[in-house]
Amino acid sequence: MKQLKRWPGWMLLVFVVAGLLAVGSTRDSGARTPEERVQEISKQLACPVCNGETVYESRNSQSDSIRTEIAKQVSSTDATDDEIIAFIVQNFDARTQLVPNASGFESLVWVLPSVALVCAGVALYFAFRRWRNTIDLVPDDDDRQLVATALERE
Amino acid sequence: MLAEGLNGLLGHSALIVGFAASLFGAMALIAATLLRNPRLMRTVQSYGTIALVGAILAVIVMERGLITRDWSLAYVQKVGSRDTPALFNFTALWSALEGSILLWLLLLATYSFVIMRRYRNRVGDPLVAWALVVMFAVTGFFFFLALGPTDAFRAAATPDFLRCCKGPNPLLQNHVLVLFHPPILYLGFVGFTVPFAFAIAALVTGRVGEGWLVETRRWALFAWGFLTLGILLGGWWSYEVLGWGGVWGWDPVENASLLPWLTGTAYIHSVMVQERRGMLRVWNLSLLVATFSLTILGTFLTRSGVINSVHAFSDSDIGPYLLGAFGVVVAISLLLIGWRGDKLRAPGAIDSAVSREGAFLANNVVFALFAFVVVLGTVFPLIAEAKDDRKISVGSPYFDTMARPIGLVLLFLMAVAPALPWRKAGGELLRDRLFWPAWCGAATLALAVALGGDGLAPLLAFGLAGFAGGAALRQLLLATRRQGYRGLLGRANGGMVVHLGVILIAVALAASNSYTRAGQFTVAKGETVTFAGHTFTLVDLTDFTTSRSVGIRAQVSIDGGQAYAPAISKYTAFGMDVATPSVKSGLTNDIYLTLENGSQPSTGVAKLKIFIKPMVLWMWVGGGLCAFGTLLAAFPGRNRRRPTDPVSAPIALDMNDADQPDLVEVEQPAHA
Repeated sequence: MKQLKRWPGWMLLVFVVAGLLAVGSTRDSGARTPEERVQEISKQLACPVCNGETVYESRNSQSDSIRTEIAKQVSSTDATDDEIIAFIVQNFDARTQLVPNASGFESLVWVLPSVALVCAGVALYFAFRRWRNTIDLVPDDDDRQLVATALERE
Repeated sequence: MLAEGLNGLLGHSALIVGFAASLFGAMALIAATLLRNPRLMRTVQSYGTIALVGAILAVIVMERGLITRDWSLAYVQKVGSRDTPALFNFTALWSALEGSILLWLLLLATYSFVIMRRYRNRVGDPLVAWALVVMFAVTGFFFFLALGPTDAFRAAATPDFLRCCKGPNPLLQNHVLVLFHPPILYLGFVGFTVPFAFAIAALVTGRVGEGWLVETRRWALFAWGFLTLGILLGGWWSYEVLGWGGVWGWDPVENASLLPWLTGTAYIHSVMVQERRGMLRVWNLSLLVATFSLTILGTFLTRSGVINSVHAFSDSDIGPYLLGAFGVVVAISLLLIGWRGDKLRAPGAIDSAVSREGAFLANNVVFALFAFVVVLGTVFPLIAEAKDDRKISVGSPYFDTMARPIGLVLLFLMAVAPALPWRKAGGELLRDRLFWPAWCGAATLALAVALGGDGLAPLLAFGLAGFAGGAALRQLLLATRRQGYRGLLGRANGGMVVHLGVILIAVALAASNSYTRAGQFTVAKGETVTFAGHTFTLVDLTDFTTSRSVGIRAQVSIDGGQAYAPAISKYTAFGMDVATPSVKSGLTNDIYLTLENGSQPSTGVAKLKIFIKPMVLWMWVGGGLCAFGTLLAAFPGRNRRRPTDPVSAPIALDMNDADQPDLVEVEQPAHA
């Protein structure tokens, strides 16, 4: 059993996992149904008149109209998802997309978490370096004397 | 000036008495502690009791007002109606801001009272005394809110029934979970006041060692357990009521509940490093301060009207008060931490990043990053509006994109951390301990691929969940083999049961988010449609009328069996449509039916939306496991390390089995 747990067992594991991931992630799961496409698009649009709901979630009549229009575009045109979203934003006062842009001021919402991650990584690096230096301290004679005295007391 | 009725008078009196008791209680404690006056100290019990009685009385009076339809109260006019059923009339107490503050107050006064009774013989101890001062101060603040900006007992003019008295928001009178979700969630929110109070007391008294942690260990655990359960019940409610087939929509109110959960989860992990190694003192204090202040900030964001949310059932003038309280809490805490800076220096060091404490630290960084992402996404629309006077929304697509890698890293840490020893881990030890859990992950991945799973992110989630599940099961197996059922008790082992629950939730979320099938069909009465291997027959489509609503209900037979009844109700007083989905739950998937607008009973034609959602049931099972594991974690395990042991003490050799292998590693003279 010990032998199994050494590198051959782990190498086998790595190959198996890599193979399974390759098979699974490249597999074609088939076309989405039109309704699933409508769902995905409507999840990216905010309802123009409700409190923080997406067009997908909202039961408001305006959201209903937008969903109907998306369904119409999906079934009768070759437009891509992005083109349909752009059309809806232009024509339905759906001013708010639920995905912030990756450029301009809105890109901060993507950039700041990455900056925070880097800062955390750097802080951890320096913390561990400081701790390592602490550990490397060699006990001096006073330390040894303290320990000896404590042991004698016991 | 409006005449105040009996309920208004009683309610206001109760709140004034409670407010005065909290204020005097805090002042008496401060004076008694500074002057060392035991006689004055003994009076504190009475103040705590009076404050609790005031809060209970205020809630009873408001319930009485709701039940008897006392229209002289503005709050009853706001959320009461003649037609609301008894259950929802009772829960109307917390269906708007003013009543929610009363519920918060009741729970806070109860926590304060229980703490006071628990430590009645130690109230002379400055640590306990200052903790009670904080509890009294926070309770006093909420009494103040209930008396002033969110006065639930405000008198109202004679009601104009054409315009008022419609009852609670339709979404809050549509499902029995309204009885459980808010109170349980509040038990979690308010519960974190206890460890926060002890943290502040530790800073004030300078006793910043591990003593206060030991005092608050179970309080933090219970608060976390309630918060977890409350959030899950919210998800379940959303699934059963809102009709869009999801459990979590990254709505600002949902985010407000998630934020303290994230920092609270980080805390209950990192606190173990401090208890065991005396380290991360500032970090743990900061996490508790963050957890408590995030409950205040979340309430501000969602109740002040600055952010729109489907959950924010009212706007109010409470914003400046909550923002002020948030500022005061953060400022005082930072000042105290700065003042005690010298005493907060850790006596030891983390020897290696590849160790239990290293994993906890990584876990904390990831949770903190997650909390940052959620705060940023939630408040970013405000920032953008302030800068460009332009409204934008940050919703599910953003949060999903950011949460996915964070969730995967957390699953990986859940897999590896239980196998790591304290101080330092060798490569051979890790190869040995992680081997079978890793193969569990591979087996889970293989099963997922065999069942048709695709997409890199969900497959990684399944594989890592299997890995983490294997690690948790290994830990539990080792513990129970040695100690029998007692091997399930204690924080380490109960924590592994919680991990199993979290893993189930993660798998269920990954599966239902990635592989939900949806279809919309127009079906005539008697007609059958086929979707995703199931048949759906529209058996009937009828109108219905209740005292509060009119609607349409369909009867849909699934696979020729039992009929399920999705409906749409229009609440006449509000003119608001509320969908009532009907769900056939199964071990592998849920069949979720909703009836859409456009269905016509007169023509017998229904518009049906059908969702096939995999593994949703396991989300609720996982929630149950989390609650059960929290209970197990609260019981002391066998031969528990005494909390009075100094953190540098040699680790006992008879500790529970789950930790036993660590000792061998600790004994290794890695840097002797």
